[in-house]
Amino acid sequence: MVEQAKMANDDIPLDDKAKRMRDLLSSFYYPYHGSSPKAHSNYENLDSINSATFDPEHYMNLLVQKSNLEELLRKHVEMAAEIKNLDTDLQMLVYENYNKFISATDAIKWMKSNIVGMEANMEQLLDKIMSVQSRSDRVNTSLFEKREHIEKLHRTRNLLRKVQFIYDLPARLAKCIKSEAYADAVKFYIGAMPIFKAYGDSSFQDCKRASEDAIITILKNLQACLSLCYACKGKLFSDSESIQARAEAAVLLKQLDFPVDSLQAKLLEKLEQSLGDLQLKTNEIENVLRESNDPSKQGKGFDSVPGIGHEVSVHGFAEAIRAYRVIFPDSESQLIKLAQNLVIKHFEMTEQRVKRRISSTNFLGALRAIWDDVLLMDGVLSEAALSNFSLEVAHATVKKYVASTFTYLLQDISDALLKVKVSPKEAAEEHPLQVALEASKKIVLQGSMDVLLKFRQLLDDELGLLVKLRAFIIDWVQEGFQDFFRSLDDCFLLLSGRKNSSSQDQGFSEGALGEKVLAGLVLVLAQLSVFIEQTAIPRISEEIAASFSSGGARGHENGHVFVSGEICQLFQLGGEKLLHHYINVRTRRVSTLLRKRFTTPNWVKHKEPREVHMFVDLFLQELKAVDSEVKQILPEGLLRKHQRSDSNGSTNSSRSNALLDDKMSRSNIQKARSQLLETHLAKLFKQKIEIFTKVEYSQESVETTIVKLCVKSLQEYVRLQTFNRSGFQQIQLDIHFLRTLLKENIEAEEAVDFLLDEVIVAASERCLDPIPLEPPILDKLVQVKLAKSKEHNPVKPLDVGR
Amino acid sequence: MQGGSSGIGYGLKYQARCISDVKADTDHTSFITGTLSLREENEVHLIRLSSGGTELICEGLFSHPNEIWDLSSCPFDQRIFSTVFSTGESYGAAIWQIPELYGQLNSPQLERIASLDAHVAKINCVLWWPSGRHDKLLSIDDENLFLWTLDCSKKAAQVQSKESSGMLHYLSGGSWDPHDMNAVATTCESSVQFWDLRTMKKTNAIERAHIRNANYDMKKSHILVTAEDESGIHIWDLRKPKSPVKELLGHTHWTWAVTCNPEYDGLILSAGTDSTVNLWQAPTSAEDKATSESITEPLNQQADPLLNSYSDYEDSVYGLAWSSREPWIFASLSYDGRVVVESVKPFLSRK
Repeated sequence: MVEQAKMANDDIPLDDKAKRMRDLLSSFYYPYHGSSPKAHSNYENLDSINSATFDPEHYMNLLVQKSNLEELLRKHVEMAAEIKNLDTDLQMLVYENYNKFISATDAIKWMKSNIVGMEANMEQLLDKIMSVQSRSDRVNTSLFEKREHIEKLHRTRNLLRKVQFIYDLPARLAKCIKSEAYADAVKFYIGAMPIFKAYGDSSFQDCKRASEDAIITILKNLQACLSLCYACKGKLFSDSESIQARAEAAVLLKQLDFPVDSLQAKLLEKLEQSLGDLQLKTNEIENVLRESNDPSKQGKGFDSVPGIGHEVSVHGFAEAIRAYRVIFPDSESQLIKLAQNLVIKHFEMTEQRVKRRISSTNFLGALRAIWDDVLLMDGVLSEAALSNFSLEVAHATVKKYVASTFTYLLQDISDALLKVKVSPKEAAEEHPLQVALEASKKIVLQGSMDVLLKFRQLLDDELGLLVKLRAFIIDWVQEGFQDFFRSLDDCFLLLSGRKNSSSQDQGFSEGALGEKVLAGLVLVLAQLSVFIEQTAIPRISEEIAASFSSGGARGHENGHVFVSGEICQLFQLGGEKLLHHYINVRTRRVSTLLRKRFTTPNWVKHKEPREVHMFVDLFLQELKAVDSEVKQILPEGLLRKHQRSDSNGSTNSSRSNALLDDKMSRSNIQKARSQLLETHLAKLFKQKIEIFTKVEYSQESVETTIVKLCVKSLQEYVRLQTFNRSGFQQIQLDIHFLRTLLKENIEAEEAVDFLLDEVIVAASERCLDPIPLEPPILDKLVQVKLAKSKEHNPVKPLDVGR
Repeated sequence: MQGGSSGIGYGLKYQARCISDVKADTDHTSFITGTLSLREENEVHLIRLSSGGTELICEGLFSHPNEIWDLSSCPFDQRIFSTVFSTGESYGAAIWQIPELYGQLNSPQLERIASLDAHVAKINCVLWWPSGRHDKLLSIDDENLFLWTLDCSKKAAQVQSKESSGMLHYLSGGSWDPHDMNAVATTCESSVQFWDLRTMKKTNAIERAHIRNANYDMKKSHILVTAEDESGIHIWDLRKPKSPVKELLGHTHWTWAVTCNPEYDGLILSAGTDSTVNLWQAPTSAEDKATSESITEPLNQQADPLLNSYSDYEDSVYGLAWSSREPWIFASLSYDGRVVVESVKPFLSRK
């Protein structure tokens, strides 16, 4: 009914309102598919029919214009159908809504009737709850008192139990002491401690005292246990008490606030002391060692006997350390220090020994002992890394050992050489220089070999310490030899006085005696240099190559290796230098002699010669000294003639003699000019005699060189003077005598001869009136001189002339 | 080392000992030398190196009354030189002037400007101040040191001051410091003595025996080079007279003369009685280094200081002079009267 009325209402207000309604409805009920889109699909502006701006008139016009009748009819039919559909839809919707509305109204009606009785029920409920609450309160208050009482009772009971415990404590402690369960005792005591602290002064006084007494006994016992440790430190931790027990004791003591630290310190002190004792003992070993070293039967004898004592004590020390470590687990650093001290002291001792001379076996023994100790300690105290530490220290020590060995060798050699200086004074030995040379040769060779042997022993030893240092040792040995020979060369130069020649020069002029010895020494040094270069170094380098070549640690780039070539060259140069120095020293003495001879007299007012001047004697004496020195030291050279490019030497010398005679005969001043020309010409034709040839290491070569240099000096001195006839004749006489004596023993006779001629030529040139002595007079004077010297000292001319 | 082939020779008639560079001659490289003949008439030769440098020309030949033991050219007047001469029995010293027109004269005579005739002992040498014009002249005899004032225009020389060397010090020669006109070094038997000419007092001494010759370094002050009979050549720093800065081997026999090059640093010539002239390169530039290291092994460690050895001489070489005009040229004079002029150029490039 309502629906119909509605329908009627809807029909009246035309299409506009209906369509809008229908759209809204369809959008509400058919959100996905409506009939209208289907209906509109046939037309172009089918949307517009649903839009608000839809113009029905315009729509109609368009429809009419576009479509023909048929289409219009069809359209009409469609539209009519559509409208009908919509109408039915609407009708249905209205009906449904209406239904719902009715049922809702019914429900409300029902609810209204039901709600009336509710209020009363609620009030009833509230009353009931109130009553429950009041009742529970009552119960609570009635039970409270009783509960409190129970709680109090419980507390009292606990207290009582504690009191009981405390009263029982002394007895319990005593029991513990009896059973030696110190740990439990301490636990109990510590448990009771707070109570004692709180009430100890009042109620539990007796109890506290009793338990304290007990604890003191415990303390005593514990301390006794521990102190047993250090009481028997004399024996170094005897085994009467197990270490474990002692460690526990220490822990307990610590718990009991006992000053463990001081105890520890005391113990450490003891340990240190024992270390000192150990050192003392090693010192004793030292002494024994030295004593046994003296009679040169070192080795097994001392190694075994005092070694055992030492080993035992070190063993004890190691044990002590182990115990100490267990007892005081946090004391490592101190112990490490202690152990390192031990090693350091060991090495210090060894170093001191190294400073004195010790044999390699001794040194090895010492090292071995140290290494044993170190290994022992390492076992006990691995944190200390003692082996590494000792390796470092040993590094330095072995190096020092090597160095000191070389130093001693050097000292030996120089000592042997310096003996030369002393011996001629005290003992009239036949050949002091020779003896010295042989001795020093032997020392150089034997000493170096011994040194090498020592180092070989070091190398061959299987000691861990040395095995690790092997490469270093090889390096040091090579370096050591290199340095050794260098310093030996320096030493030679120093001994020869070349190094500070300025101060030495004064020495020459002052003390002739010292110089004489020194000259011989220089010669010895020269020959020794040759020996080292030619014999010692090849042998040593051979030896080194054989056993010290394997891999240096630092390689060759540092240049710290033994380069035999370099050293050979050094000594070759050094030897030559020394030989020249010897010649120099010798000629200098003659030179001084000659200078005095030539600068003192007034040659222009010289008197007629009566005899050979004494400077010739002095000269020959010097030569004799040279001869004796040279014969002792230098080898006899190959007897060969002075080298000249042409063989007819004799004619040359005769030529110069002829020239001389010729010159002598011409006393006339006017002819002097042509004479000079002649000299020049003669020189042109004559081979230039090489006066200054290379010096060789032979008796003849050195002697000849000295003679030549001296005669040359003589010539130069003559050239600086101006002579009268007598002066010239004196020179002539002196030279003649000198010639006869020199002729017999000089290798390069011609050169000397030539030089002697030159002296006479020089004298004649520097003479105002060069008229020579007649040969008979010359011979006669020479004979007189010879006879005189024979009478004076019959051996001398022979000796000089060999 | 072979030497001598490059040298230019010139022969004197007689034996000779001394040669001097004519320093004042700035147009030519010339040397002056005099003979030493006891019984002949001695000559002074003025020698000039030809412009090509290939031969030695005798520019002047003058007779000299006595044998000449020492000769030195005046550093500021090329015509003036001094000689020390001997008659055999007595010694004398004089200043000479070469006559102006000697080219035209047949037998030109030397003009004696002054005689240094205050000496009684054997005169050893006359020294000019080597660095330039200075009116003082120094003459040294065995016992005394004379300082003369020379007036060339008035032709007179007067003794300004005189000092005895002291007992037992026989002077043998000397060298005038080119850096200090008041300092002079004299050599005697046992030392080198240093004098201050203002006060004529000894200022210093190097104790060293048998020094034969001494020469100041022309370039560097405080450096003195000495030659010794047996022990070679030593270079001294005068501020440190205790020990030599450097040691050179010297000669097989005596080292007679040393002379430092006027231009090239450390270049030293030495002449010896072993008939050689040696050319040395001493590293004086590294003097401090040389002193710190020991002087015993300089030969091993450094390059050989001996650059060359000229050995083409027949007799001992006593005379030696660098040319100051061409400092790479030197003249040497051996006792047989042979002047040899050499150039050291080939060895300079090695430096």
